Amino acid sequence: MARVGIERRPLRLADIALTVWIGILSVVTVYGALTTTGFLTVSNMKAILTAASFVGIIAVGLTVIVLSGNLFSLALGQTAAISAMVFLYSLRWGLAVGILLTLLLGLAIGTVQGFAVGAWGANPIIVTIGAAGLIEGMAVWLSHGESIVPPSDETSWEHLANPLFGLPVPVYVFIVVTIILAVVMRRTRFGRQIYLLGENRVAARAAALPITLLTVGAFGIASLYTAGAGVLIGATSANASLLLTGSYTYDAIAAALVGGNAVTGGRGSIARTAAGAIFIATISDMLLLRGYSTGGQILVRGIIVVVVVVLTNLRERNR
Amino acid sequence: MSTVETTRRRPRAGELAPYAILAIMIVALALVPVVTQYTVRTANVYDIFQNFASYGLVALALGVTIIAGEFDLSVSSMYLLGGMVAVLTGAGSPLVGIAAALGTAILVGLVQGGLIARFRLNSMPVTLGGYLVVLGITYILGHNKSVMYDNFTVGLRLDKPVLQVFSIRSLASLGIFVVAALVLRYLRVGRDIRAIGGDRRAARVAGVSVDRLLVSVFIVSALGAALAGALLSYSLATASPTNIGFDVLTFSATAALIGGVSLSGGKGSAVGIAAGVLSLSVLQEILAILRSPDYVSSLITGGLLVVVTIVWAPDLSQWFRTTRVAASAEERT
Amino acid sequence: MNGERDPAAESGSRSPLIDASVAPVLLEVIDLSKSFGAVRAVRDLTLDVRVGEVHAICGHNGAGKSTLVKALVGLVRPDEGVIRFDGNEISLRNPHDAQAHGIALVNQELSLVPELTVEDNIFLGGLDVPLLYRRRRLSEHARSVLDQLGLRHVQLGRSVESLSIGERQLVEIARLLVRDARLLILDEPTATLSKPEIERVFKATRDLVAQGRSVIFVSHRLDEVFELCDRVTVLRDGQRVATHEIHEIDRRTLIEHMLGEMEGARAMGEHGHAIPVSGEAVVRIDRLNVPGSVEDVSLTLESGIITGLAGQVGSGTSTILRALGGLVPNASGTVEVRGKKVLLNTPRRASAAGLLYIPNDRQREGLFLGQTVERNLTVVRLRRLSRLGVLLRRRIQRAARELATMAGVDLDRLGSPAASLSGGNQQKVLLGRALQLEGTALLALDEPTRGVDVGGRADIHNLVREAAREGTAVIFSSTELDEVLDLADVVVTIFHGRIVSIVPRAEASASAILADMTTSHASGTGMSS
Repeated sequence: MARVGIERRPLRLADIALTVWIGILSVVTVYGALTTTGFLTVSNMKAILTAASFVGIIAVGLTVIVLSGNLFSLALGQTAAISAMVFLYSLRWGLAVGILLTLLLGLAIGTVQGFAVGAWGANPIIVTIGAAGLIEGMAVWLSHGESIVPPSDETSWEHLANPLFGLPVPVYVFIVVTIILAVVMRRTRFGRQIYLLGENRVAARAAALPITLLTVGAFGIASLYTAGAGVLIGATSANASLLLTGSYTYDAIAAALVGGNAVTGGRGSIARTAAGAIFIATISDMLLLRGYSTGGQILVRGIIVVVVVVLTNLRERNR
Repeated sequence: MSTVETTRRRPRAGELAPYAILAIMIVALALVPVVTQYTVRTANVYDIFQNFASYGLVALALGVTIIAGEFDLSVSSMYLLGGMVAVLTGAGSPLVGIAAALGTAILVGLVQGGLIARFRLNSMPVTLGGYLVVLGITYILGHNKSVMYDNFTVGLRLDKPVLQVFSIRSLASLGIFVVAALVLRYLRVGRDIRAIGGDRRAARVAGVSVDRLLVSVFIVSALGAALAGALLSYSLATASPTNIGFDVLTFSATAALIGGVSLSGGKGSAVGIAAGVLSLSVLQEILAILRSPDYVSSLITGGLLVVVTIVWAPDLSQWFRTTRVAASAEERT
Repeated sequence: MNGERDPAAESGSRSPLIDASVAPVLLEVIDLSKSFGAVRAVRDLTLDVRVGEVHAICGHNGAGKSTLVKALVGLVRPDEGVIRFDGNEISLRNPHDAQAHGIALVNQELSLVPELTVEDNIFLGGLDVPLLYRRRRLSEHARSVLDQLGLRHVQLGRSVESLSIGERQLVEIARLLVRDARLLILDEPTATLSKPEIERVFKATRDLVAQGRSVIFVSHRLDEVFELCDRVTVLRDGQRVATHEIHEIDRRTLIEHMLGEMEGARAMGEHGHAIPVSGEAVVRIDRLNVPGSVEDVSLTLESGIITGLAGQVGSGTSTILRALGGLVPNASGTVEVRGKKVLLNTPRRASAAGLLYIPNDRQREGLFLGQTVERNLTVVRLRRLSRLGVLLRRRIQRAARELATMAGVDLDRLGSPAASLSGGNQQKVLLGRALQLEGTALLALDEPTRGVDVGGRADIHNLVREAAREGTAVIFSSTELDEVLDLADVVVTIFHGRIVSIVPRAEASASAILADMTTSHASGTGMSS
């Protein structure tokens, strides 16, 4: 059929800026790799991967929330902590039960939040802030403020803590779950609909997409993955308390944003987040090796986040 | 000839909620002696206002950004930075320290607000990055440790009881709340802030300079958080890069929301936020009297936040109606 | 149907302190031209507005009215032409310039902030508003302006949220008066107003001109034009076709000016429509009611028949279709699809019932601009194109190709983001997604060719006919007469939320339809406020 009308190809400033940014990052990374002593060693690479894995597992789960247009969840650190605690506690019933129970808990925590956001339109950030407080309170309450350790007669969990063929288990898990989720997001109806929902919520409604289900799914997956990370964190530390919350929340969000996922949803991918997680772990490692303090690392991460957010959101005015 | 009527409108039910909640909390406090052996004394009221002084301005800062239709996630680390800068620069004179903290705040607010306004960005991810940047700077300034403030007398003076229940710190906070209330209510800029939060497009079309106002809002937000942090650090004679055990963000968000600030923007008042902060302060005092462990406070505050967010969720009533209609329709068939 | 108005009786209802026919000229527009890309919105437009007059601008859709208005308030910069105000040439680069000269606009999309009070909104964004704006002097001024506009009962401290649309419109006018606007442009101000509210706007307008201000009244409501205005200018295809003193013209001539060549050529429809054989009743709508916009609409839609809802902006046509799409939760009434009653309070239910709605705001509510054309085309049929939740890639690509071909979208563009397509092609993508979907009982198309040029429109119309031929019932809405006449088998005219007439195409006449779309009929009091 005839082509009618003038095709507009707007100059994609965002694409140019992003490409330049990736270029700069690559140069900096390579430079850093070459000039940091102790960086290019096998053990260091393993350390990076391990660090990236915990954050990465949480971050890829979080990505589904980001892609769905619900910004992000601020409850993930607490979810990971309570998951670790629940896991170590329920090891008394065996490894399988421990894992299963923890994952179910994660799923439950997530779906409740997702329902409030999807069915009732509650603000996702605030809901997750509140959930974080609730989860934290529950965690301390149930543990009486003490750390949880695995039962002395149960050692099955050590399988998770010990390296497998030279690499820590979390690395394998990270790779596997990332691939699974990437496939889900690209190849399933759910994944496709999440992208559409994130792109334009109003249009998604008009096109009769199942918004509540999708939102519940997004938050559920994020929490599920976080619970999984919690299992691994608990096993690796053999000790779980709220101190574990650490900076997982912000690191995961930073990973998702730095990878280049649009914060308003609809654009990006699981792979990008995984890359972001690895990149952040790399930079953090480099900074650590070069003697940067905690503060310096946080600062650098923050700057990267801000820059990437500005660059990836240079779009046509949407307000 | 029609006389000019007062422009105060009759408050609607929803607007009275913050005061109702405060009333409930005060009643609960009054009931404490009934439940325990404890007698509520002026010292408790003093504590309440001290708590107000410590965190009230942060809630006000966050609240103002929400009223303007945005959300400043960086208030919790700006708070810490304010304290750190004040302690580090205020060795000679506390006023210098406060001035420095405020100056830093203006800078941070300018950058954040500038980025958000200029590039029409969503404020949440930007302020999330800002949170990290500010936190990082705080750590760096303190060399990753807490920093002592040698000038103990400043803290003592700030916290000395005035009229038994107040202190200079709490009076300063209250004073700023009063100023904020007046500005939001009577000054053109206050109305414009509510306008850009209520309907940004309409405000822009009507002629409000939205961009300039957005930057100002983020500057104000940073100032509020920094001042609260600075005063608290003087009071504690320490500045710390962390705030374990207490989430300033949750507290502020809850206080603002139960104080009547609407997440959709355009609605809220400084007085309401004050009531929200007081409510939570009374609550925390009650829990302290009952010797409740910290986590109870987390639970209640977190729970309150979730409840308030759901109750004021935009599609809640719609969902009820839809489900009810569907249920009765299915009954009929 | 009302007969011709008696011009003599009309002029007596205005008390002219200023005799508009000899008043000096306030605004002069000379040879104004503006194009948007290849589309010439306005061409060599010349007109003038006198001091103290109410000047109507009439014209069918696409005639150039909105471009003219936008140029006058600084929202659009003309390519050529001169604007003179008070005899001086002025340049209107932005709305602030317009405000500074005293030119102001009230249109359908009000710029009031609902969360603020009436007084706040009146002084919102004004150039001269002082820092401490709640001064007694200003409040008194606002109060007197509100009283003038008939809003005596509305307190300054009342929240705008609680006002009706008509009252809000008057508040917006109040804002402009407080800014001392000398030329007010009212763009379709009465579309969503009740009768008493319309009266108030009229009275306010008359008072304004009595004070020496001027009003440009853009409207398609010919009754109101005759009742209110001193002169009328008709635009067609971006040019001025005629300007008359109101007492020198009658309704029929006015309509003829607006239609131009159409009347002859389109009288019987170029496609030689015979009424297609009636199909079974697929959708029965009984007493559809939406408070404030649609009243008591009952329609039967048959398979294979294309029903056209002809009505201007704000008449309720869009609301009717949205209700069918499940997007109007407070709609009441009964809808039966293939004999079964269905609940339409969510889009999911509507879709499950086989009602496929295509929104009219393609950028905001229709398309997923950042997603590929392929994703946009397949959005509503993913369930069919997947098995156990997994997408069947090959089938999706095939479906997208088929739909694109049917819709006339270049296959090369399937992988491009929808945002990169031209308006016409975007519309085709939007429509394409609704084609050939199994189980569709009814296609509800809200302004199917909005912003599409002539060639694209013809393509889209063919698409729609094709869909109907395959047995789907189709209902569409349009503000454009020639589209309705070209496409519909049955023409339903809607005015003020009610059905005015239902006429098979073969028996329809352009002027009758236009009259029905633009005139109120004495029956009923219209929407109550």
